[in-house]
Amino acid sequence: MMKYRRIGEMGAPGAKGARFEESARAVACTSDGFWYLAGDQEIHAFDSEGKQVGAWPTSLPAWSLAVDRGGRIWAGEQGQVEVFSPEGHLQDTWQNEKLFGFLTAIAVGERDIFVADARSRWIHRFDHNRGFVNHIGDHHRKGGFHIPNGVLDFAVDLDGTVVVANPGMHRVERYTPDGESLGYFGRFGQHDPESFPGCCNPTNLALGPGGQVVVSEKAGPRVKVYDPHGKLMAVVAAGDDFDLGCKNMDLAVDTEGVIGVVDPIERILVLYEPVDAPVATAGVTS
Amino acid sequence: MSKDDLSRRDVMGMAARGAALAGLGGVSTLLAVKAHGSDAWYIDTSKCVNSRLGALGVDTCLRCATECVLPLSAVRAVNEFADCGRCYICPAYFDIHSAIDADGLPSKKLCPRDAIERRPIGWIDPDDPANNFYEYLIDESLCDGCGLCVMDCKEPAGLGSIKLEVRHDTCLACNRCSISIACPDEAYELRPTV
Amino acid sequence: MKAIREPTRSRSGSIRWLLSHALAIALAVIVLPGLNPAWSQTDYSRPVDVAPSEESIGEGYVTPDVQRPLATSIGRQLFDLGLLAVALGLAAWIVLRRRSRWAALVLTVSCLAYFGFYREGCICPIGSIQNVTTALVDPSYAIPYFVIGIFMLPLVAALFFGRVFCGGVCALGAIQELVLLKPIEVPPKVDRVLGSLKWIYLAAAIVFAVLPAVSRDFIICRFDPFVGFFRFTGPFHMLLLGGAFLVLGIFVGRPYCRYLCPYGALLSVFSRYAWKSVSITPDRELDCGLCDQACPYGAIEEMRAVRTSCLACARCFRSCPVHRSCETPAADVTQEAA
Repeated sequence: MMKYRRIGEMGAPGAKGARFEESARAVACTSDGFWYLAGDQEIHAFDSEGKQVGAWPTSLPAWSLAVDRGGRIWAGEQGQVEVFSPEGHLQDTWQNEKLFGFLTAIAVGERDIFVADARSRWIHRFDHNRGFVNHIGDHHRKGGFHIPNGVLDFAVDLDGTVVVANPGMHRVERYTPDGESLGYFGRFGQHDPESFPGCCNPTNLALGPGGQVVVSEKAGPRVKVYDPHGKLMAVVAAGDDFDLGCKNMDLAVDTEGVIGVVDPIERILVLYEPVDAPVATAGVTS
Repeated sequence: MSKDDLSRRDVMGMAARGAALAGLGGVSTLLAVKAHGSDAWYIDTSKCVNSRLGALGVDTCLRCATECVLPLSAVRAVNEFADCGRCYICPAYFDIHSAIDADGLPSKKLCPRDAIERRPIGWIDPDDPANNFYEYLIDESLCDGCGLCVMDCKEPAGLGSIKLEVRHDTCLACNRCSISIACPDEAYELRPTV
Repeated sequence: MKAIREPTRSRSGSIRWLLSHALAIALAVIVLPGLNPAWSQTDYSRPVDVAPSEESIGEGYVTPDVQRPLATSIGRQLFDLGLLAVALGLAAWIVLRRRSRWAALVLTVSCLAYFGFYREGCICPIGSIQNVTTALVDPSYAIPYFVIGIFMLPLVAALFFGRVFCGGVCALGAIQELVLLKPIEVPPKVDRVLGSLKWIYLAAAIVFAVLPAVSRDFIICRFDPFVGFFRFTGPFHMLLLGGAFLVLGIFVGRPYCRYLCPYGALLSVFSRYAWKSVSITPDRELDCGLCDQACPYGAIEEMRAVRTSCLACARCFRSCPVHRSCETPAADVTQEAA
């Protein structure tokens, strides 16, 4: 089992910048060490030392963040996506009444843009011309994924596989970009750390540089790391690390394996780094 | 004076009775006019420890079930269906800390009186029971308002759709409600019903 | 000895009068703003509003209605009021016309079983004094119509038939009646002094009931010594006090009723000019004193029944030789006393 160590916070009150007043919701990070945190009706940018280097408002509260290859920040909101330059200037507002209900996760790749809509409980795939391509999760059942928490979270692997947290079924599921199911791992269990406890876990999900699956849970807030095949590799945080009332803790992992966890009660970003050997290489076997 | 004539005593008696009746009638009318309805006992869910947000990791308060003077308490747990997540594994229905049985479900139920009924609803997946929505109905003839399900449904473990309510058709509306006296959060209060 | 029949008012007419007015009270309760609508509890706001929709669940599923707390059952209240009226009427008839101790005892025990043990002793006329007082003083306090009825009915009955509520209906009195096994006579002076305690208790109950809501205390309910027995539970000191009252009540007839009950204080006022009540006619009584010996409540003084203290238990009838020798129960022992 790997070990992780808490290395610091971003967005905490102090000389480094202002803390969010009501809520902190989403996080994204870039390959060159910048972190973006969405909360209230703003986005705050931090450098790798945790110093706040930018803050700008969004027209609606942002529920999800993603950074594309060009460094632009995509913010998923209710009914729209806003695109900002790395300095925070609004470059584009993309609205889609039918398909953009409540966007709780977003991923931007070279060819595709994926958004997770918590209203319809599906993931929608678009191309870069904003044309709709297909849903993911629509033949799962009529209602899509089971997300009683109101947040549908996913991440896209380097080979294009969409890895989705399905909390109502206590699973992490994999799909091709076309929406075909590639299998799943996970089961319900209150005592075994490898299983997912309570009513609906895992709530949020991110992928590490070696393909590890990092998940966060509620009601017994925890952050865990699994290998791509579903074997538990580490329990990053548990017990008293987070307030008991934390739920829907968004995650992001940078290229060195540092995990950023949004603490919605304290409204800060908490960072953990692996203590043991550096990250596993891609395609690791169990 | 014949026996049929009214004596002075009789007249005094009639006058006194008449005056007393008039007095009672007047007081009744005064009270009835002022009273447009009646007070009844209610549970304030923003104070009740089983319901209020933020009260986590504490023992469930069972007083609504144990303190009522009636053999079966007048308090019931009520599930707001529109707010319920309809989850496969409901922490208020199952005792999620119990051992897992062969179906992958917890083996024990949380309700000590087995008052909650679980059934799949809507379109039912024939292959995967986890792919269904489930409705959780509380049988009011069994529920005694103990609050165990209410506490376990509370955010973040559940969605907080279950809460305790007083059933006024059963409640005696005592002047000094024994639950109200015992409630540690002053969540049990007398309120006008209109 | 030939019975001297003297003209009296028809007894059945008085019962009819009472019943018809009880019906009027009941009708008034229905006609006035009738069934109350259902109300919801305090709003409980949830931070996330994402339960699955009916479309997601599919197959034409419709979210069922949540059962709201029903209004206090008007039917049950009317039934209890009706039962109270019937019991009062029955008590009046049993004590004043039938004059049967045995029947009075059966009625008492039945009322103890229903109003005491089944209805858990709540709502009772004794406590309703406080509700009435509070409602008269506090404009924000709403007294249920039902409680007004509970308060008024025994007083109206007392106006016409004396303290028949005490004798046949009151559950607190009934439980004391059952333990009265070896009655002793309380010296009249002591009886008088102790009897004034109930006026002090009544005044204290009123004072506490008119306090503002934060400090208001319903002391009659708090210090009810017998409700713990009805409910098989209660604070230890109250159960102890209740037990002490019952032990005392083996010897002293109905100590709570005679010396403490605040409603008894009101009833003693209302029964003073009762239209018909237990009384001893001077030209028929034998001066034997057997009724005085039989009465455990000291309600017979100088061979005359004292209406305000008579608790209508019918023991005097059982011991009276004249009453026992009369062939028809409609003998004129009860007549307006001289």
